Amino acid sequence: MLKSKTFLKKTRAGGVMKIVREHYLRDDIGCGAPGCAACGGAHEGPVLEPQPLDPASSLCPRPHYLLPDTNVLLHQIDVLEDPAIRNVIVLQTVLQEVRNRSAPVYKRIRDVTNNQEKHFYTFTNEHHRETYVEQEQGENANDRNDRAIRVAAKWYNEHLKKMSAENHLQVIFITNDRKNKEKAIEEGIPAFTCEEYVKSLTANPELIDRLACLSEEGNEIENGRIIFSEHLPLSKLQQGIKSGTYLQGTFRASRENYLEATVWVHGDTEEDKEIILQGLKNLNRAVHEDIVAVELLPKNQWVAPSSVVLHDEGQNEDDVEKEEERERILKTAVSEKMLKPTGRVVGIIKRNWRPYCGMLSKSDIKESRRHLFTPADRRIPRIRIETRQASALEGRRIIVAIDGWPRNSRYPNGHFVKNLGEVGEKETETEVLLLEHDVPHQPFSQAVLSFLPKMPWSITEKDMKNREDLRHLCVCSVDPPGCTDIDDALHCRELENGNLERIDMVPELLSSNLCSLRCNVDRLAFSCIWEMNHDAEILKVRFTKSVINSKASLTYAEAQMRIDSAAMNDDITTSLRGLNKLAKILKKRRIEKGALTLSSPEVRFHMDSETHDPIDLQTKELRETNSMVEEFMLLANISVAKKIHEEFSEHALLRKHPAPPPSNYEILVKAAKSKNLEIKTDTAKSLADSLDRADSPTFPYLNTLLRILATRCMMQAVYFCSGMDNDFHHYGLASPIYTHFTSPIRRYADIIVHRLLAVAIGADCTYPELTDKHKLADLCKNLNFRHKMAQYAQRASVAFHTQLFFKSKGIVSEEAYILFVRKNAIVVLIPKYGLEGTVFFEEKDKPKPKLIYDDEVPSLKIEDTVFHIFDKVKVKIMLDSSNLQHQKIRMSLVEPQIPGISILADTPNMDSDEPERKKKKHEK
Amino acid sequence: MASVALSEAEKVYIVHGVQEDLRVDGRGCEDYRCVEVETDVVSNTSGSARVKLGHTDILVGVKAEMGTPKLEKPNEGYLEFFVDCSANATPEFEGRGGDDLGTEIANTLYRIFNNKSSIDLKSLCISPREHCWILYVDVLLLECGGNLFDTICIAVKAALFNTRIPRVRVLEDEEGSKDIELSDDPYDCIRLSVENVPCIVTLCKIGYRHVVDATLQEEACSLASLLVSVTSKGVVTCMRKVGKGSLDPESIFEMMETGKRVGKVLHASLQSVLHKEESLGPKRQKVGFLG
Repeated sequence: MLKSKTFLKKTRAGGVMKIVREHYLRDDIGCGAPGCAACGGAHEGPVLEPQPLDPASSLCPRPHYLLPDTNVLLHQIDVLEDPAIRNVIVLQTVLQEVRNRSAPVYKRIRDVTNNQEKHFYTFTNEHHRETYVEQEQGENANDRNDRAIRVAAKWYNEHLKKMSAENHLQVIFITNDRKNKEKAIEEGIPAFTCEEYVKSLTANPELIDRLACLSEEGNEIENGRIIFSEHLPLSKLQQGIKSGTYLQGTFRASRENYLEATVWVHGDTEEDKEIILQGLKNLNRAVHEDIVAVELLPKNQWVAPSSVVLHDEGQNEDDVEKEEERERILKTAVSEKMLKPTGRVVGIIKRNWRPYCGMLSKSDIKESRRHLFTPADRRIPRIRIETRQASALEGRRIIVAIDGWPRNSRYPNGHFVKNLGEVGEKETETEVLLLEHDVPHQPFSQAVLSFLPKMPWSITEKDMKNREDLRHLCVCSVDPPGCTDIDDALHCRELENGNLERIDMVPELLSSNLCSLRCNVDRLAFSCIWEMNHDAEILKVRFTKSVINSKASLTYAEAQMRIDSAAMNDDITTSLRGLNKLAKILKKRRIEKGALTLSSPEVRFHMDSETHDPIDLQTKELRETNSMVEEFMLLANISVAKKIHEEFSEHALLRKHPAPPPSNYEILVKAAKSKNLEIKTDTAKSLADSLDRADSPTFPYLNTLLRILATRCMMQAVYFCSGMDNDFHHYGLASPIYTHFTSPIRRYADIIVHRLLAVAIGADCTYPELTDKHKLADLCKNLNFRHKMAQYAQRASVAFHTQLFFKSKGIVSEEAYILFVRKNAIVVLIPKYGLEGTVFFEEKDKPKPKLIYDDEVPSLKIEDTVFHIFDKVKVKIMLDSSNLQHQKIRMSLVEPQIPGISILADTPNMDSDEPERKKKKHEK
Repeated sequence: MASVALSEAEKVYIVHGVQEDLRVDGRGCEDYRCVEVETDVVSNTSGSARVKLGHTDILVGVKAEMGTPKLEKPNEGYLEFFVDCSANATPEFEGRGGDDLGTEIANTLYRIFNNKSSIDLKSLCISPREHCWILYVDVLLLECGGNLFDTICIAVKAALFNTRIPRVRVLEDEEGSKDIELSDDPYDCIRLSVENVPCIVTLCKIGYRHVVDATLQEEACSLASLLVSVTSKGVVTCMRKVGKGSLDPESIFEMMETGKRVGKVLHASLQSVLHKEESLGPKRQKVGFLG
């Protein structure tokens, strides 16, 4: 049956459009209950259980299905995700409303409905002949949707009654809207609020904690004083922003001071500017990363950013007077010049709340169910949650979501989501790291997994089309030990004409097993074949999809051994020797062009095989073979970059590394000067050369230190779309063009490059998104963002493992070199562990030493001792766990001895020992 | 314009019949043929109507769009007419063949609506000088079977009657910047009063007499005809002579009187049909183009 749906829409130009859509109603849509004779088998995918026995509810003891409305889905998704909640009917009307209102919740509900275990059924009520309703006169869209949901609930109840009278299957309508619930009950639909239902589940009391606490709008003002001024409605904000009274920007809370924040105003006409917000009332319930509208205060109320460190520690939550007192501390007298534009938040344009990791601060009052939650990120305010399992959650990392922030509440309200585990445990902390850096790490969804080929997998005739059979070649792979994703294989042979041919292979299929070029199995690959002469000059380059069979998978050490041992003369070894010879020439040529070899100490952990706890740290060793593999990977990447740019000048995905501005090098030049060395930084070549020359016979580690320092001066390399940029140069590699091609298992960028290359050689067809440069530019933006977040997560993970290591190791003293000199601290590097740390000279509750900082040299004079960059010192390393959420490595000076500052190496320091003990107490 | 070729004998037969107040299809000189009207036939317009009169078949769609008022009339919205002569009607309209006729009809429509009383243009104003509704009246000729102007006018009036304009509110803040808010109830709309929308009655001079609602054959026998646009109250708003022949003043007065008389009856029956159709409600089974 055909119906048409008519609705009006405002266009962007301000006009009004009437849109008419055809709407088909069907009578073959199944109800989702298996065994239903009326619509037997008309449904696909996950279905409801025929006899839903759990969860036992005291309100409705009979077996039943749940049917939530839109608001329940939006706000109580955490409850619905709980494994205890099953057999839920999700209406299409509800799903569509959720999609319009919150994309993240929509994604979550889709994941839940795809989970077979949850028995969630999506009922397309809008296309069902009997449940479709048309908007009536005098009814707005919301009323219509509410009615549609009720009609569907009623239909379900009658339909199920027809199916089996003795079964008494019921559909229970869950809504938090009082009026809607009343109407439903009037129509004979069993209806409860979410809270009523969850509380009736006597077998699962923990679910109550996961309920979002939403105060109903009416009683919000009744209790307590109002602390915050009202947020203006969005329409007013937009008008204000248009007229310039308000400014729109991203709210960035301060890490050091919970009463202070900045707002980055991103206007298109004026340059980016920063506005300071100070005091609870001016912050007005904004949370870090929210998009807010701010109003500038008159100039006489402007303030300067305070340098005070303030952490929110009050347990007594509504102590507003005290807050005001604290705010006054911030307003210290400062000169006019220091004053910065100051404002206050008038409204929130977009909340950017996410679930936060952190720990529970248990309320002092026993039996209290209201507790404060302290997020790991200091920029997030503490969140008030209601839970009965406070004692169980104490000392554990938990996730909490914010539900709202009423005007009369000092803290936002939230609810408990998930218990990650014991604080300090490796799994827990790793989970926290991933969550806090927004690294998605859920298992792949069913939809993704369904694309994987069936095991056992073998190469078929179809695969052989467009592919070159290179299985006869003697190919091998060289990787670090323990590597599971072997993604490049090498080979070299002498051609009849005396030229050398060499192939670099990259698998193409995505899966850790099938893509891994394990030895002695056939694998699909994408090959880059060069024909070179003995001077490593490329005569011909060719790309092809291929099938290869790796003859050996070697580690760097094994490969090195084969090359070095004169006794071995088999095919693989000669091939490796040939490669090595070519690589050496390639490297030499690259360095001549000005490629930089910068070092940063790479640290490896020796893992205990039982517990996977790190037992020893070791800086990575570099062998000739490492550089051999690297050279050929670089060559492959450069050749591919050239090819795809030739073919797609507008939309090739490339990687560039911009040259750093000269000012970045200042610190390096100054540091070298202090050691009577000259570093030239005008070109990459001269930098590389001067770094090579910078050697001191008395100080062999100096060169490494200089190179480490040079790394810090560099810019971040980024992906970009060739059509959107005109500077392609890769500074670090001294290559005019570069991309990523060699690791498609690990990097998405490589996959795009693979696709582009496949199209370029005619082995595959293109698709519209691939040739849309704006889409590609967006993709690059996301790649760069994810890359950055992954790097942060990696750094944090290394830091955490280092902490674990030092926890087991206890307090140690080590030699270190000064990397940077700061106003009140020195940054040192401990070569033995590749560990960098800061030694502070100013401590709380201690008399401040006399510090003189010289920016020119740079040097720091403490009492009578002067510190320069590269000075050798001795430091003591220990784990500081005074703050459970933020454990860190603390270093203190041992040598040179400065009275009152340095500590003795042997006697345990009381200060640092105390938190250790405290920590142990918690562990019990 | 579509026409038929008639032999002298046929013409004489028609002229003599008219002389006796007896027309070929049995009508009297002041009788209309049966008119079929259906409104709301095109769902993506604001209002539409399809009218069939004999072999003449007209579809009119009205589309309301927001625009800025004309400078000289800042408090009023306005109507735009466009007539499309489909080659379906007659092969002569193919290509640009129907353009002249289309322009002629559109100009006639502009003229009969060019007075304050025919439609309340002020009700189309949203905010003076800034926003108003523009009603685009699109006329499509599906078939030409004589008496084009009358049929078109009936269809335009029916379509305007059927027109529903979404209700909008102008929100104004302290700074004076305005924003238009649209009601999310599609039934929340304004209707136009078509009380005073005139209809054209075409009077064909055949022999010494004149007839209304001439067929193609009768039109072939007439040298001159008079278009009289009449409101439901019988007020003549506009008059135009078409055809190459001449009319003497005496007969012009006669024709005007007939036009007023017939026009009043025509308006009354159209109004009653439209109301009757509307009383059937939105659940009415539509005939459309396949009926």
